[in-house]
Amino acid sequence: MTAPALVLSLLLAFSGFSALALSLERHHRAVFRSPVPRSRSGGLRAAGWAGLTLSFATAIACAGWSFGPVQWIGSLTFSALAVVALIAYRPTWLRMAALAALPLAALTLPLALPG
Amino acid sequence: MNRPQSVRQSMAWLHTWSGLVVGWVLFAVFVTGTASYYRAEISRWMRPELVHSNLDPAAAVTRAAAFLQTTMPDALGWSIRPPSTENPAVEVYWWRDPAGPYHHALLDPATGEQANVRDTQGGDFLYRFHFELNLPPIWGRWIVSACAMILFIALISGIITHRRIFADFFTFRRDRSAQRGWLDAHNVAGVLALPFHLMIVYTGLVTLSSMVMPWAEMTAYRGDLLRYYAEAGLMVPGRPAAGRPGEALPLGAIVTRAIAAQSETPEMVVVSSPGDAAATVTAYFVELPGLAHLHPQIAYDAVTGAEIGRVGEAGTATRTGAVMVGIHEAHFAAAPLRFLFFLCGVMGAATVASGLVLWTVARAPRGAKPEGLGLRLVRFLNLGTIGGLPAGLAAYFLANRLLPVNLAGRADWEVRLFFLAWIAAALASAFYARTRAWSLTLAVPGIAVLAIPAVDALIVGEARFLGFDAAMAVLGLLLLVGARLASRRRLVRRRTEAILHRTAEA
Repeated sequence: MTAPALVLSLLLAFSGFSALALSLERHHRAVFRSPVPRSRSGGLRAAGWAGLTLSFATAIACAGWSFGPVQWIGSLTFSALAVVALIAYRPTWLRMAALAALPLAALTLPLALPG
Repeated sequence: MNRPQSVRQSMAWLHTWSGLVVGWVLFAVFVTGTASYYRAEISRWMRPELVHSNLDPAAAVTRAAAFLQTTMPDALGWSIRPPSTENPAVEVYWWRDPAGPYHHALLDPATGEQANVRDTQGGDFLYRFHFELNLPPIWGRWIVSACAMILFIALISGIITHRRIFADFFTFRRDRSAQRGWLDAHNVAGVLALPFHLMIVYTGLVTLSSMVMPWAEMTAYRGDLLRYYAEAGLMVPGRPAAGRPGEALPLGAIVTRAIAAQSETPEMVVVSSPGDAAATVTAYFVELPGLAHLHPQIAYDAVTGAEIGRVGEAGTATRTGAVMVGIHEAHFAAAPLRFLFFLCGVMGAATVASGLVLWTVARAPRGAKPEGLGLRLVRFLNLGTIGGLPAGLAAYFLANRLLPVNLAGRADWEVRLFFLAWIAAALASAFYARTRAWSLTLAVPGIAVLAIPAVDALIVGEARFLGFDAAMAVLGLLLLVGARLASRRRLVRRRTEAILHRTAEA
């Protein structure tokens, strides 16, 4: 249960939640100033759930079945809070931040895996 | 009487009023409980005289036993906590009667004499306030249990009331009306940390469950709780005193055996009937790595040093309960995860506070209608709790640094100043002009909290307290930011009113 493992699940959950938020009409408008096309909404939703699933998988892989879920739920809370804060205060940054979180997560992965 | 129109409306009513009546107590419980995740750090800051040294724990325990032997040779029991990085002193308790009083001292591990340390309750005060409210323990625990049960009702009715829990998951409309903004803030803080909120209130009730619902154990074991603890794998069964004196081994020798058996230093060593031929030494170890809050124990014969028994594998029910208590206290959490628990606790306090503020914002009379007594009372209690508690905390920490070190009853004075500052801040808030009340009520503790690192740097000035001081600086700045936002909202409102006025004139 190390800091990199926690950062990794935070980053992946952040990207996932950003995609889920952008699949919603109101937040898509706030970020892109345009309504969300139907096809894109579905893709974003799928990407969002994939991000959350991946976040869960890495939490289990890095921290095991007893600490992993605790850590994952905690990272869900604060990654979602970061998405809410960005939409409310800096909506135009959301897309970049969500995309930037992915390579950062890839960089954190070797530090986070046990052994 | 009108019939409620829908489940959702009656649940909204339940949520509003159940949340309001316990909100102020819960705010204090959340804040002190959240601080208790750093209880050891707070205690260390409040006892700056104690410095950790790598002394042999067995020797320190032998010296502590000599101190206890001279202090109360006919004690019924002693408990000794060997020095650790968390608490560098040897902490001892001794008692003649299981009902108390329990005497307490901090000993210098090198000499076995009372440590030269300022008298303070440290982080233990906040920890105990969290579930006893500084009242007689039974009263405090019952009140906190009742509030926790009502909070559980408020949480569940709040989930049912929330019409669009998923659609509004990320919604915080800060540019609309004040009521909309506070409702969104309450929803975001409540929903995003909902797993934590549900977990913390439920497991909190579990920690007090043997007090709230004692009947299962009382019936099954006919009131013989010690047998229950032994059978549930919570403790080694005790044995009666022989009634004749015995020559005990040096306590350190037994501690050395315990360290060899478990390959770690025990967290606590309890001696029952010291000096008796059948005296027992029980070594308690820190919990196993895992979520459960369970303490491995080994009991030794104090005279021969032979192992008498150890707690076996805990049963499923015991383990389940221990995991719940463990998750509540998060002793298992290393620094990063502990910080997350801390932030979740802050979210809990924010949910309560925003709910309390929302109650008044939603009921503010439109136009020139006068404000009712209820509204003014709730606003006063909101100001007095949300602004008053941080003022009390600041006074508690400042008193620790500023009161004379040898003042008689110093620890009591720290607590007294905590309550005096809280009450003073609360009363003062009643006299602030209505429009400036929130910004002043937050600015006063903000400045007081910012004074803590400054005073500490001047009086103690040690690098190992930088973390605590930095945390206080952040807290003080956050309070000032809150004060600033509260005064800016007023400006915005005045500007919108001016615009409306002009539009109306045009």
